[in-house]
Amino acid sequence: MNPHAMLVSTLSLLLGTTITISSNHWVMAWTGLEINTLAIIPFISEPHHPRAIEATVKYFLVQATASPLLLFSSMSNAWATGQWDITQLTHPTSCILLTIAISMKLGLVPFHFWFPEVLQGSSMTTALLLSTALKLPPITILLMTSHSLNPTLLTIMAISSAALGGWMGLNQTQIRKILAFSSISHMGWMVVIIIYNPNLTLLTFYLYTLMTTTVFLTLSTTKTLKLTTMMTSWTKTPMLTATLMMTLLSLAGLPPLTGFLPKWLIIQELTKREMTLTATIMAMLSLLGLFFYLRLAYYSTITLPPNTTNHMKQWHTNKTTSTPVAILTSLATLLLPLSPMILTTL
Amino acid sequence: MTYFVFFLGFSFVLGGLGVASNPSPYYGVVGLVVASVTGCGWLLSLGVSFMSLVLFMVYLGGMLVVFVYSVSLAADPFPEAWDDWRVVGYSLGFVVVLVVGVVVGGFVEGWKLGVETVDGGGMFSVRLDFSGVAMFYSCGVGMFLVAGWGLLLTLFVVLEVVRGLSRGAIRAV
Repeated sequence: MNPHAMLVSTLSLLLGTTITISSNHWVMAWTGLEINTLAIIPFISEPHHPRAIEATVKYFLVQATASPLLLFSSMSNAWATGQWDITQLTHPTSCILLTIAISMKLGLVPFHFWFPEVLQGSSMTTALLLSTALKLPPITILLMTSHSLNPTLLTIMAISSAALGGWMGLNQTQIRKILAFSSISHMGWMVVIIIYNPNLTLLTFYLYTLMTTTVFLTLSTTKTLKLTTMMTSWTKTPMLTATLMMTLLSLAGLPPLTGFLPKWLIIQELTKREMTLTATIMAMLSLLGLFFYLRLAYYSTITLPPNTTNHMKQWHTNKTTSTPVAILTSLATLLLPLSPMILTTL
Repeated sequence: MTYFVFFLGFSFVLGGLGVASNPSPYYGVVGLVVASVTGCGWLLSLGVSFMSLVLFMVYLGGMLVVFVYSVSLAADPFPEAWDDWRVVGYSLGFVVVLVVGVVVGGFVEGWKLGVETVDGGGMFSVRLDFSGVAMFYSCGVGMFLVAGWGLLLTLFVVLEVVRGLSRGAIRAV
C-alpha cells in the first residue's frame, strides 16, 4: 500500500481508538468509532481481490448500522435525561439499543454473522487488528455503561456466543475463520461477567488480546492460512510450531497456561453470584472450542502429514525470527503463576 | 402550523421510504431531495435556521450535485422506476413497518410521541441556540479538529480504495 495512505490510516486508527476510550461524551465516543471504521477500510480492501472487497463492504455496512444505533441510544437518553454523559445512561430504551449496537460492533450472537467472513477476506495482520485493536473501543463503552445494562440480555447473548463460537468453529478448515469463531466465543466469556465484575472483563480482554496476537503473528510468520498448509509448516520453524501448540492450548483455557486464568476467575465470580448453572453451561460450551483448538495444535506439531511418500518439504527457506513473537509467546503461556499479582492490580 | 410541521415530518419519512425502496439512483435521488428539503423545514420549526440552511446548501447544493454528475457519467439503459414490481414490494413492506411502529408507539406511549416542554408538546422540542456553532470554534475546537479530520479521512479512504483505474478495488474483476 502507498506509504502515505498507510500512515494516514494507521494514525487514524490510533486516533479513533484513543478518542473513544478517553471520551466521556457520547458524541466523542461515536466519532472515535466512526474514524476507526473508516480508517480500517483500506487495510481490509488492500489485497484488491473480490473476497477482500466483499469483506470490506460487509464490515463497513455492519459498523455503519451499529454507529447510528449507538447515536440513537445516546440521543434518546439525552432527550429523556438532558445530559450526554456515557456513565449516566438511565433511559431503558437507550440501554437496550446500546447493548445491541455494541454487540453488533463486537460480533456477539445474534449479530456475529459478518465476523468470520470479514476475517476470512482480510490478510492475517488485518485480521489481527480486527480481532484485537478494533474490539477495544466497543468493550470500553460497554465497561463504562455496564452498570446500566440489562443482565438477562447480556447473559443470553454471552451464552449463545459461547455456544455458536464453539459449534460453528468445528467444521472450518480455514484458520482465520476458526480464529473468528474463537473470538466470538471469547467475547461471550467477556460479556457474561461484565455486570458482576467489569475488571474481569478487562482482564479477559487483555489476556485474549495477548494470546490471539501471538497466534496471529505466529501464523503470519509461517504464512499458513489453512489446515492443510499448517500440517507441512513445521519444517519452516520447528520451535515456533511447537510453541504455537502451547499458545493454542492456552487460548483454549487449559490449566497450567495463561488462558486458564480468565475462565477460572469468571467461573468463580459467577458461582459467588449464585449463577452456577450459567457457569456450568459456559464451561461445557467452551469444550466445543477445545476440540478445534486441539485439532489446530495437533496439525501444527504433526511431523508426518498424510501426504504421498515423496512430498517436498519446505526446509528453512528464510530464517523467520521475530522478537515480538518470542516475547508474546512467553507471556501467552506462562502468566498463570503470576495470577496473585494480576489479581491485586485488577 | 402544527399540521404543516407534522406534514413535513411525514414527508421526511416518505422520502426516506422512497430511497429505501431501492429504485434506480435517478429516482432514489428524488426521495433524497424530498427528505432533505422536509428535514430542513423540520429544523426550521425547531428554531435552528442556520443549521437548516447549512444542511440545504451542503447536502443539496454540494453532495447531491456531485452525485448527479457522477451518476450521469455512468448511465443505466433500463432504470427501475417506482412502477417496477420489486420496488413496489419493498415500499409496501416498509409501509407495513411504519404502520406497525406508529400503532405500537401509540398504544405503548398513549399517543404522546415525544416529551411535553414549555415551548410545545408532542413532537416539538426546546429551541436550540445558534451560539452552539460559535462554541464549536472556541472551546469546542478539539471536537472541531477531530470532526474535520474525520471528513478528510473519508476522502483519503475513498481515494485509496479507488486508486488507479483498473487496479482499484472497485474494478476487482
